[in-house]
Parts: sequence; structure tokens; C-alpha cells
Amino acid sequence: MKIKVKSWTSVAWWKWIANDENCGICRMAFENCCPDCSFAGDDCPLVWGHCSHVFHMHCICKWLNSQLNQQLCPMCRQTWRFNDR
Amino acid sequence: MTSPSERRLRKEFLELIKNPIPGVIIDGEKIEKNINEWNVTIIGAEGTIYQGETFELQFLFNDKYPFDSPSVVFIGKNIPEHSHIYSNGHICLSILSQDWTPALSVGAVCLSIRSMLSSATKKERPPDDLIYTKTCSKNPKKTKWFFHDDNV
Repeated sequence: MKIKVKSWTSVAWWKWIANDENCGICRMAFENCCPDCSFAGDDCPLVWGHCSHVFHMHCICKWLNSQLNQQLCPMCRQTWRFNDR
Repeated sequence: MTSPSERRLRKEFLELIKNPIPGVIIDGEKIEKNINEWNVTIIGAEGTIYQGETFELQFLFNDKYPFDSPSVVFIGKNIPEHSHIYSNGHICLSILSQDWTPALSVGAVCLSIRSMLSSATKKERPPDDLIYTKTCSKNPKKTKWFFHDDNV
């Protein structure tokens, strides 16, 4: 069965409040999910570092897990610490 | 299905077409055929010792990009004569190995190499060029680099 959408009314929209538009690691917009996910939003959340840089949680975790010696922010190279807000 | 590394490379490719970097020319046709292998032409900046020269860089990406750095070497006949560039095209540049981060990109690497060329005042090979080019692996990522001079 084919359905044609004739009109639609939006009732709400959402947006991450981050100081950037795109994830510096995967370069996707924050409102999109990381390349490993299918759904944006709570399923693919953002995380903030103490240095104020923001990434998809999956992207920054993938980077930190690949680092053997030190865990640095990809943007400013300061030691990465999660900022619980 | 496109892999995450290829999606990221495609984004960079489109961005470089939209906003080209001065003195950096990418071979779009080649990239369209194989997104994991880029050839980039670097034009020596005006007012530097490489003015009027062009150089060819080759980028090879694996499926861990951008978490793993690309392999970047100069190829072709004209390998810039520079104290951090070996005659086989290998480049001694920390962001290509230990200082790589996934926030870097093809554009950032090209800018960094172009500025490394621009700050040189003398055309010379690294002091260990002969021994290094005889003993190194074909892949510069297999080299354990030591960085001693951050000024050039």
C-alpha cells in the first residue's frame, strides 16, 4: 500500500545546546547520530569535556579507548575529563 | 553500505570542493573512483624557497580513519628538498603519527605541510636521509619517529 502525506503539523522540535554545530570527530551535525548509530537524540547522546568541547559520546569513547598512554581532547589536546552537567 | 571512514572522507571531499584551500589541489576524479586514496597537489607558496614548484602528496586511509592517521607521503619526481622530508617522500611530522587526533583532516594536514615548507630557509635533506631511506619500511606509519626540531 502506498501512502501519500498530504500535510503534516509539527508539535515540537528538539536541538542539542552545544557550542558547535558538528561533532569534530565524525563531522556529522549534532542533531544527526554518529556513523555507528541509526537514531539521533537520547540513543546517541552528546558529552561535554572539562575543556568545553563537545562530541557524540560514541565518537569520543571510541577515540579514548584507542589511546594507550594519555587521553587527550581531539580539539585542544588537554587531558580529557568528562564534565557532568 | 558506506563505512563510517568513507562517510567522513566523503564529507571532507565535498567540503574541500566547496571551500578549496589556497595552494592545495585535490584530484577529484581519482577520489570519486576510490575514496580511500587521495592525490593532492601542493603549490609552493609565493615568497618562499619553493615558489613556482609543485609537489604531489599521496594520502592512504584505512577503515579506522579518523581514529587512525592516514599514511601521507610525497610521490613523483619532485620530492621537496626539506630537512624533514626524506628523499623517498616520507615526512617527519608529528601530527602524522603520535600527535594525530581525529579532529584533524586532509585539509589540516595539507595546511600543516604547506606551512612546514614555507618556513624553510634552506633546501636540504635530513641528516640521516641515506640510512633511513635504505632501512625504512615502505609505509611511513611503521616508522618510529623521533621529533627533535619543532622550529621548521
